[in-house]
Amino acid sequence: MTAARDAAIGAEGLVRDFPAVRAVDGIDLAVERGQVFGFLGANGSGKTTTIRMLTTLLRPTAGRGYVDGLDVQREASEVRRRIGVALQEAGLDDLQTGRELLALQGRLHGVRRGEIAARVDELLAIVDLEDAADRRIGTYSGGMQRRLDLASALVHRPGIVFLDEPTTGLDPISRDAVWRYVEQLNRDEGVTFFLTTQYLEEADRLADEVAIIDAGRIVAQGSPADLKATIGADVVTIHVDADDGAGIARALLRIEELDGLEEVRTLDDAIVVYITDGSRAIARLVTVVQESGLDVREVTLAQPTLDDVFLRATGRHLEVDAEAPSPGAGEEEAR
Amino acid sequence: MTALVIGTYQLAWRAVRETIRQPGVEVGNLFIPLFFFFVTVGAISNIAAPAFGIENYEAFQLPVAITQGVAGAAAISGVAIVKDIESGYFDKLLLTPMPRLAIVLGRLIADGIRCMAFTSIIVAVLSVFTAGMAAGPLGYVVVIALAGLFGVAYSGIGVTIGLRTGNAQAAQAGFLIFFPLLFLSPAFAPKEFFDPWMEFLASINPVTYLLEGMRTLALDGWEWDNLAGALASVFGLGVVTAGLALWALRTRTA
Ligand SMILES: Nc1ncnc2c1ncn2[C@@H]1O[C@H](COP(=O)(O)OP(=O)(O)OP(=O)(O)O)[C@@H](O)[C@H]1O
Ligand SMILES: [Mg+2]
Repeated sequence: MTAARDAAIGAEGLVRDFPAVRAVDGIDLAVERGQVFGFLGANGSGKTTTIRMLTTLLRPTAGRGYVDGLDVQREASEVRRRIGVALQEAGLDDLQTGRELLALQGRLHGVRRGEIAARVDELLAIVDLEDAADRRIGTYSGGMQRRLDLASALVHRPGIVFLDEPTTGLDPISRDAVWRYVEQLNRDEGVTFFLTTQYLEEADRLADEVAIIDAGRIVAQGSPADLKATIGADVVTIHVDADDGAGIARALLRIEELDGLEEVRTLDDAIVVYITDGSRAIARLVTVVQESGLDVREVTLAQPTLDDVFLRATGRHLEVDAEAPSPGAGEEEAR
Repeated sequence: MTALVIGTYQLAWRAVRETIRQPGVEVGNLFIPLFFFFVTVGAISNIAAPAFGIENYEAFQLPVAITQGVAGAAAISGVAIVKDIESGYFDKLLLTPMPRLAIVLGRLIADGIRCMAFTSIIVAVLSVFTAGMAAGPLGYVVVIALAGLFGVAYSGIGVTIGLRTGNAQAAQAGFLIFFPLLFLSPAFAPKEFFDPWMEFLASINPVTYLLEGMRTLALDGWEWDNLAGALASVFGLGVVTAGLALWALRTRTA
């Protein structure tokens, strides 16, 4: 791992306190140039607070942040020149048209007047907003606003881009478009991405490196493949009758004696077993559970996923806020 | 430096465009001063000549309508800044490398422009009812320019409140500060007729000198002392309010 100072994006002991809560609790990281770095965490885990500190919007309580070797506090305006940022809440202005907003953002970022129009056209095409470009943003749907916000982060061709939950509230088609665009920019132009997400699938697909953040701390970090390999086993999930506590306790005792067992834990009505060579072990497991007096309702065998990594690191599944979709998600018509 | 100029220009233009796109907001600001103008003139103009020796009370009241309208129009910026903060657009501006000063300067300059346009309308409407401008057409130009400067100075109050509180109602209330200033000025009668305590308060009120400067243009013509007084008081007010606004910006973005 590169030192924070030499990395594209780095942090050393980053802390941020709010009156009632320590939102970020000592984060160290080093994102290499050209990487897509995924910051995976549940609601309130500190993703946005970390991004706001790294993008110069929020002063850290302690620690340092670096972008391209620049201190985010002491060299803030040079940092701003080099980064593109799409925050969690698309910060747009209802009274401007999409085209005007992009052009203004470009001018404020120092894009030359002569180059602006072409750049804006290019971006509008990329995020598929050409038809709506001359309408006021107030008439855009939630999904359109997100895409415009994304475009506005890229108008000055930054080499380092921060995206805070870029696909939350997007319909599957728009989500896929964002993913492909991130991949393309990363591959063709070597853009470094720091993106936060609550979606395992997103981290798995996009990120070269994933950090799992929980209660303001990084609790696991590595490439998705390496992280899954740390589980070192297959995952057998056996759903039983959750009310029979004694039966479950008996089953756990016996499972712990099985060969190849990595770890066993219970979660709601399930016994989750991390065990090598799961397809062979499954028959024994079912027998053991039944002999403990439990009724086996369902058994699944799976390769480890990032969710298993998350579960092991935090003791919880990553639960996505079900009512989270932003206003107008999925609909393309004007509000 | 060029980044500051570009940023200020771009943001001022954006703010002006914002006004053009919601013209409804200005209608109330136009209505209030015109209403006060007509009721005041209706009530007092007949006794103005015998009581204060003022023949043309309409011209005497014209600056009151203008300053009142300007104070209302200039309160819009504070509210607009709060809207930007709430929508997150303010963060988007903070994320650009332009000097942050441009965020405040852009608003203040746009207010100057807005207030001049606004004053032109008030002057045009009221010139139908007044005996005109003793200083001639150029007098109108100077009155409008003074109104623009006062707009810049006054908008600093709303911008300060908006940046400090992030609360639209509070920023809107910046307009209310104008009423004590107005009533502690020679709004209805020359201050020579005031009780001494009131005359003292009026004499330390910047609005007094602005009104008197505009009034001499309307009633008497070019009186350089009064004009200099108007300019100096507006400028002094502007230095204070712009300073406050910049301080509020710094504390918000620190
Ligand atoms: N301005 C603030 N004032 C007080 N507390 C805050 C503030 N911003 C964040 N917090 C708190 O800090 C913690 C981390 O919040 P943060 O927004 O960074 O989480 P997050 O991971 O981005 O969550 P989400 O997925 O919901 O966006 C939360 O407990 C939150 O309530
Ligand atoms: Mg967040």
